[in-house]
Amino acid sequence: MSETPFQINIPDKKLSILRAKLELATFPDELQDIGWKQGPPLADMKRLVERWKNGYDWRKYEKELNQELPMFTRDIDVDGFGALNVHYVHKKSKTVDAIPLLFCHGWPGSFLEVRVILPLLTAPSPEHPSFHVVALSLPGFGFSEGSHKPGFALDQYAEVIAHKLMIALGYNEYVTQGGDWGFLITRRMAAKYGGKHHKAWHTNFPMADPPNWKSPLSFLSYLVTPFSPEEKAGLERTAWYRNKSSGYFVEQSTFPQTLAYSFTDSPVALLAWFYEKLVIWTDDYKWTDDEALTWISIYWFSRAGPGAAHRIYFEVHGDFYNLGRTSYPTIPMGASYFPKELLLLPSAWLRRLNNVVSESHHTSGGHFAATERPKELVEDVRKMFAKGGPAFGIVPGRSGYA
Amino acid sequence: MSSETPFQINVPDEKLSTLRAKLELANFPDELQDAGWKYGSPLVDVKRLTERWRNQYDWRKHERKINEMLPMFTRNIDVDGFDTLNIHYVHKKSETVDAIPLLFCHGWPGSFWEVTKILPLLTASAPEHPSFHVVALSLPGYGFSEAPRKQGFGLNQYAEVAHKLMIALGYNEYVTQGGDWGCFITRKMASVYGGGHHKAWHTNIPMAKVPTWKSPLSFLSFLLTPWSTEEKAGIERTKWFRTKGQGYFAQQSTQPQTLGYGLTDSPVGLLAWIYEKLVLWTDNYNWSDDEVLTWISLYWFSRAGPAASLRIYFELREDCEDLGRDPTIPMGASYFPKEPIILRAAWVRKLNNVVFESHHKSGGHFAATERPEELVQDLRKMFAKGSPAFAIVPGRTGYA
Repeated sequence: MSETPFQINIPDKKLSILRAKLELATFPDELQDIGWKQGPPLADMKRLVERWKNGYDWRKYEKELNQELPMFTRDIDVDGFGALNVHYVHKKSKTVDAIPLLFCHGWPGSFLEVRVILPLLTAPSPEHPSFHVVALSLPGFGFSEGSHKPGFALDQYAEVIAHKLMIALGYNEYVTQGGDWGFLITRRMAAKYGGKHHKAWHTNFPMADPPNWKSPLSFLSYLVTPFSPEEKAGLERTAWYRNKSSGYFVEQSTFPQTLAYSFTDSPVALLAWFYEKLVIWTDDYKWTDDEALTWISIYWFSRAGPGAAHRIYFEVHGDFYNLGRTSYPTIPMGASYFPKELLLLPSAWLRRLNNVVSESHHTSGGHFAATERPKELVEDVRKMFAKGGPAFGIVPGRSGYA
Repeated sequence: MSSETPFQINVPDEKLSTLRAKLELANFPDELQDAGWKYGSPLVDVKRLTERWRNQYDWRKHERKINEMLPMFTRNIDVDGFDTLNIHYVHKKSETVDAIPLLFCHGWPGSFWEVTKILPLLTASAPEHPSFHVVALSLPGYGFSEAPRKQGFGLNQYAEVAHKLMIALGYNEYVTQGGDWGCFITRKMASVYGGGHHKAWHTNIPMAKVPTWKSPLSFLSFLLTPWSTEEKAGIERTKWFRTKGQGYFAQQSTQPQTLGYGLTDSPVGLLAWIYEKLVLWTDNYNWSDDEVLTWISLYWFSRAGPAASLRIYFELREDCEDLGRDPTIPMGASYFPKEPIILRAAWVRKLNNVVFESHHKSGGHFAATERPEELVQDLRKMFAKGSPAFAIVPGRTGYA
């Protein structure tokens, strides 16, 4: 099973279809002074559509990506699902014994999110460890094929990456970094393949289970320990997310196909749905229009089509809530807390059930850490694996140093 | 008080060509093997409907039919604290002079069009049953009514519009029939205008607060009273809706505009979004393709656009969670087994002044479309000679 070098090369026909649809774009009205309360403001949407139609140069950004990111595809056989052609970025550090690291995106993210952290992670230096980086497009996302059969859930995503891709690349032992679905997938990997292959995992989306009455001492401590201001803010943010910003989650996990028609037929529909997340899930990140449009174009031009990616919500939905009942990973874990992340629970809850060896608490940044706070994220990962750090040398023979 | 203007639907040619142009460019997603209805509207249905909409469906023919069958009007209604809204409505009087004035109130994704089958039945004169003068409005933001331009247009405002319309038509005292949002709105009308103006209300989604431990006796009775087969099925249906069927609600009540962009730009997106409800919320109703397409075209061609119709979910979200004070005026409750939310009749009776109840063996959410005869029978029974709500509107018994 070998790999094929890959360059993004969207057919001209797809570009003209996009242009034709944008030419026909029709917009709703808007309530007075509504701002962001019910979705992206009309002025933003009109401006972005106008730019996408006239001025935004996809070919320029396509070329940039092809130049910056060494990309490949290879067939991965998934038990019960046949072979899926998987797209990934793979860049080796100049440091021969760099630590193999898999970067796993989520929704509405993509392989694109590795762009800024890639040169930082691979950079050789005597002061910090270096990494060989693999960043795949999850099946159904980016330029990876999607599953054609139902039931492609956490075990399958974990299998693709852990058991097949990393091994195929010669990385029998490796570490991971993931947020959003990347967190859940790398956690499943850690539970299934941890120890032997998967040696340590880092996340910027640390999801913990609250203590419940079944573990009385935890629960008691939970009741009496006062929350810090950071923790209070985190719980408020979590409540906001649950009450005001999870509509997408309920729809995507119950009727993803109904939603898929809008995304596939209308770039405006896709733009609105995704741009809303890019803005309200970040910490005042200054998206340029072109940056947002490139992010969303990856979905519009994706191999499986814009309607496929969010099926993951449906497929993993039942699995999601069972995670607490499967075994917790025991391999070393690193956690980065960014204040505008969506689910922010007291770090003690995470430490209770995971082998947390490294933790960082940031005062700014949100859900898309690799885009918003690339230096901070890379520093967090480096500190976990640095000489003298808690996970130094976790991958035998690949310390990350020359 | 301004006067009414007769109204005929006459969608501009330009809107028809824009629709055609978009349908010509329609793109479809793939679908997982054997997906059926599990993931949402099936690809085969959406493709077939899109194809028909593009090529064979004749909007002008259906537009003409609606204009012929439904006597329609518009008039301006002032809403306290908001703008004057131009409201579109159907108004048909019975030949029976003292027919009972009845307001029919739709919801989402319904419309004024749902009154079509029941209109001739309700207005029909006969010595055996009461007759009704029928008013069916398009809620603000729906059909050919204007939409509010400011935030905060809530349940009180919808109720105010409906009430003021009846008063403007000379119906100082009236009864109502409502489902979906129509139920919430007519319930609010009953609380605010009940007694003096609003004399009785009928609904096909009877609602009540579920007993909790806060009222121990109710809760105990709730726990101990055995459930009938029908009630058990009702709870299963409600459970399905609560766990699997709330996606649209969660989105529409939090970020309606985000969704609205898609529904405004893509007729295929709008079709899939609404068609899913037309099928999943009904009891095996045999929708013809043209019936579906007319239903959805009314959203596509609506005066305020499809995005405006979603905003009610955002504004009324709290009202859904906290039902507030129960009305005291006589209530009629019709239970249809495929309604997405079915509660125990005993709870509804406990919290409302239920004078009429019926339990049907078939039918779902869109009762006026699926079971028009049964729904009308229920209304006739509720207000018939000898029934508790007979002559509830003084001088307008519904009989000659």
